[in-house]
Amino acid sequence: MVPTASPLISLLLVAALSLLAACSNNPHPAPLHSVREDGKPWRVTYGNISDNPRSLDPQVSYDTTGNTIISQIYESLLQYNLFKTDPYELEPCLADGMPREIRHADGRVSYEVRLKRGIRFHDDPAFPGGKGRELTAADFVYTFQRIADPKVECPVLSVMQEFVVGLKPAFDAAKASGRFDYSRPIDSITVIDDHTFQIHLLKPYPQFFYWLAMPFTAPVAREVVEYYHGRDHREQFRFHPVGTGPFRLAEWARGRLIRLERNPHYITTRFPASGWPAERDAFFRPLANAPLPLIDEAQYAMIKENVASWLLFRQGYLDRVVLGRDNFGSAISAGLTLSEAFRQRGVQLNKDPEPVTFFFQFNMDDPVVGKNRKLRQALSTVYDGERANILFRNGVDINAQQLLPPGLFGYQPDFRNPYRTGDVAKARELIAEAGYPGGIDPATGRPLVLKLDVVALNSVSRQRAEFDQQQFEQLGIRCEIVENTWPNFQDRQIRGTFQMNSGSGWHADYPDAETFFLLFDGRNLPPEGHNASRFQNARFDALFQEMSQLPDGPERLRIAHQLNDILVEECPLIPTSHLVLFSLDQPWMRRLSRNALLAGGAGNKYAWVDPAERDRLRKAWNRAPLWPTFVLAGAALATLLYAVRWVRRQNV
Amino acid sequence: MLTYLIRRLLSMIPILLGVMVITFLLFYQINRPETMARQILGPKADQRTVETWLAHRGYDKPIYLNTRPGEPLLDSQFFNTLKGFLTFDLGISDYNDEPVAKMIRRGILPSLLITLPAFIVGFSLSLLLSLFQVFIRDSLLDRWGTAIFVALMSIPVIVYVIFGQWIAANLFAWFPAFGFNFEGLSTARFLALPVLIMVLSGLGSEVRLYRAIFIEEIRADYIRTAQAKGVSHARVLLVHVLKNGLIALITVVVASLPFLIMGSLVVESFFGIPGLGNLMMNAINTSDFSLIRANVYIGSLLFLFGLMLTDLCYAAADPRIRLQ
Repeated sequence: MVPTASPLISLLLVAALSLLAACSNNPHPAPLHSVREDGKPWRVTYGNISDNPRSLDPQVSYDTTGNTIISQIYESLLQYNLFKTDPYELEPCLADGMPREIRHADGRVSYEVRLKRGIRFHDDPAFPGGKGRELTAADFVYTFQRIADPKVECPVLSVMQEFVVGLKPAFDAAKASGRFDYSRPIDSITVIDDHTFQIHLLKPYPQFFYWLAMPFTAPVAREVVEYYHGRDHREQFRFHPVGTGPFRLAEWARGRLIRLERNPHYITTRFPASGWPAERDAFFRPLANAPLPLIDEAQYAMIKENVASWLLFRQGYLDRVVLGRDNFGSAISAGLTLSEAFRQRGVQLNKDPEPVTFFFQFNMDDPVVGKNRKLRQALSTVYDGERANILFRNGVDINAQQLLPPGLFGYQPDFRNPYRTGDVAKARELIAEAGYPGGIDPATGRPLVLKLDVVALNSVSRQRAEFDQQQFEQLGIRCEIVENTWPNFQDRQIRGTFQMNSGSGWHADYPDAETFFLLFDGRNLPPEGHNASRFQNARFDALFQEMSQLPDGPERLRIAHQLNDILVEECPLIPTSHLVLFSLDQPWMRRLSRNALLAGGAGNKYAWVDPAERDRLRKAWNRAPLWPTFVLAGAALATLLYAVRWVRRQNV
Repeated sequence: MLTYLIRRLLSMIPILLGVMVITFLLFYQINRPETMARQILGPKADQRTVETWLAHRGYDKPIYLNTRPGEPLLDSQFFNTLKGFLTFDLGISDYNDEPVAKMIRRGILPSLLITLPAFIVGFSLSLLLSLFQVFIRDSLLDRWGTAIFVALMSIPVIVYVIFGQWIAANLFAWFPAFGFNFEGLSTARFLALPVLIMVLSGLGSEVRLYRAIFIEEIRADYIRTAQAKGVSHARVLLVHVLKNGLIALITVVVASLPFLIMGSLVVESFFGIPGLGNLMMNAINTSDFSLIRANVYIGSLLFLFGLMLTDLCYAAADPRIRLQ
């Protein structure tokens, strides 16, 4: 008779054997294919995102995670040049040439756009026969209708309706009737023919080109939106994106993975034929005019914890990692260079200035700080931004002297802000001139008390708040910290119930001075606008209005400098730092560009990877040692032997 | 028995109502819907976008009673949610508009894939080790074991996670440090480390508790009688002590069974297991109130169900207990 194991033991055995058979620390699912149609190796990039994107609807998504994915699935009329970063430069993408400006007698402006021919939407069951149809001008009409549809909840509608004809009336009509009438043409766009259309603006607005490079204006197909309505086992459109971009969505396993696959019909753009740095000519020359994308698949694992992403990078399972406070010391040595261990591995260090500025804000409606310019100047002068940078950001950020970050039109690299010197003696003079000699409030005879609102997320943000407090108290005043959660902080900004705050920052939506100066425009007050400091200056507003209607040139530059001078002198803010991202690339990756606006998402069509080198290094870095198995087995055996001996001795 | 069941089921209704009212009150103390909208829509969202967002999700309605002229009194946020829960319509996620029921259904299997093996292995191992400790009680190994188990229960889960990832995934390259993928039987490689960590992190407290129960049992009169009659040590432990000790363990173990579905917040989050624990963590991070509300509701239901199940099992295991 053959002895049979119990079902439970069989199950445990199968589980144990399958676990042993599949024993590997590679966390990624297998790529979609191993070779391309032409026999070349299938190229995959492995990245990470912090969370599920809220939506992959280009007219809705406004977060970094969503944008990383959307900008690869959808494309807009214009795109940023891969190599031009100082200043950034736009070039045609879906458009066949830059839009032609038409000025009308009534002051309005139109832009005529011609589309490239033969661009197709991704193949999808929403189209007849599952084959994506050609992109036409009608798709842009539908896209602009969606922007105005209240149910879509486009977050930039209120900004766009200020300069695009027809958005506000269309929104108001839909709001009044309870539904958007898509059968009625929208006044924003006039279709000339299938591949030509005009977009109408209420006033000259040269920065409109930047909006044509944003995903908000990326075309979507009406039949796709209507097909994915979220019923009858169909996804909602926001979870099922279908665009014209270089990649299509192959898989979205919520909470764990997004997988993009090369769009086999992509013809919209090719690798640039020129413009790369001369010293890298040997690398770039063979890529000139190459079809895009260069890779076949992009996998994004959803990783919230930095510990995990750092481990996976060390094991070779992530191609790139952004360095944070936790892992900075492991990778970077003194002098902000790559540590020896990582250099020997062939890892590359990137230092990329981002179009971001962090600053303190004063509430200009506050009777103390808002009405006393000298007091604000004193507080600005005494703050040592460089020390804060060294203590809390490992010295990687740029000490800010102005509101505009590097790379933007209007940024002055050599500008030195007279009130950002960290000169304590000068700051004490200024506070005396402000009416508070030695920081003493003459009305009470005691130190002037100022309240600083901060976002208290963790121990680091509390340490930072204490540092800020100590900096300002060098003036003899008392600085009280008001700790907030992020929503409360925002709430107090909107209501204007703060005196001064720290933690405000602004990331450029597009690389133009306007997006930053708008924060101090007197017509942009909360709750509708973002001028949280409630700064109101008639000259500033007039100059800002003038600047926003001018194309880049000497006149616009002069105004940008004047706007900066007003902010420096009036001091509604203390600019503290411009963000610099330190990231590491694995040896099998090649850095193509420093363009921060293409980083992560839109630039992935240019990504280059050597899969053979990755396989070789991954094997070398992930060899499982045998000794732990012997040690564990030995320990188990020793315990067992001890138990047996003990039982025998007890004679039970 | 039937009367008892009906009475217990009816008593669940006011408890559930109480949980919902408290959840509502707490949430509105911490986060107003407008603040939540701004958190979800991002710092650049303008006022009109916020207002449209609130209106589309019914957050523009009064919270408890609708006293607006011409509108139904009960057309409020609280009563609309209550109506949804009573009809098991959990609504849509505030964060991404996905049906909450669908999100919860999707999370149950990954959660169970780690909690169920962790429960089975953890329970069996704890039982085995605690019996072994009782078996060798007062020996040097018993004292060392106690010290080790006290140490194990004192270490926070996060420490197990970090060291587990570093040692088992990075140094030994046995398991992935992170991730989850349905790969048939090979899915086990993603589950091994989280399960091991859940077992280890719970082992200390469980062994200590079970040992205490068994020690109590072994000092009972009937054990002394059995020993006096010459029953072997092993038989006393494995038959008499184990059987009678298990009755006391039922209260602890059965009540925790329904919670296996809810997953583990920390372990799922650190290993990227897309279960209900991870979902709850995301909901907290993204201020997804509708998802938090639904999770709390389901958690309360499971808790009450667990208590009822414990009573039933207790009555079944011990003939002296009668449900009235």
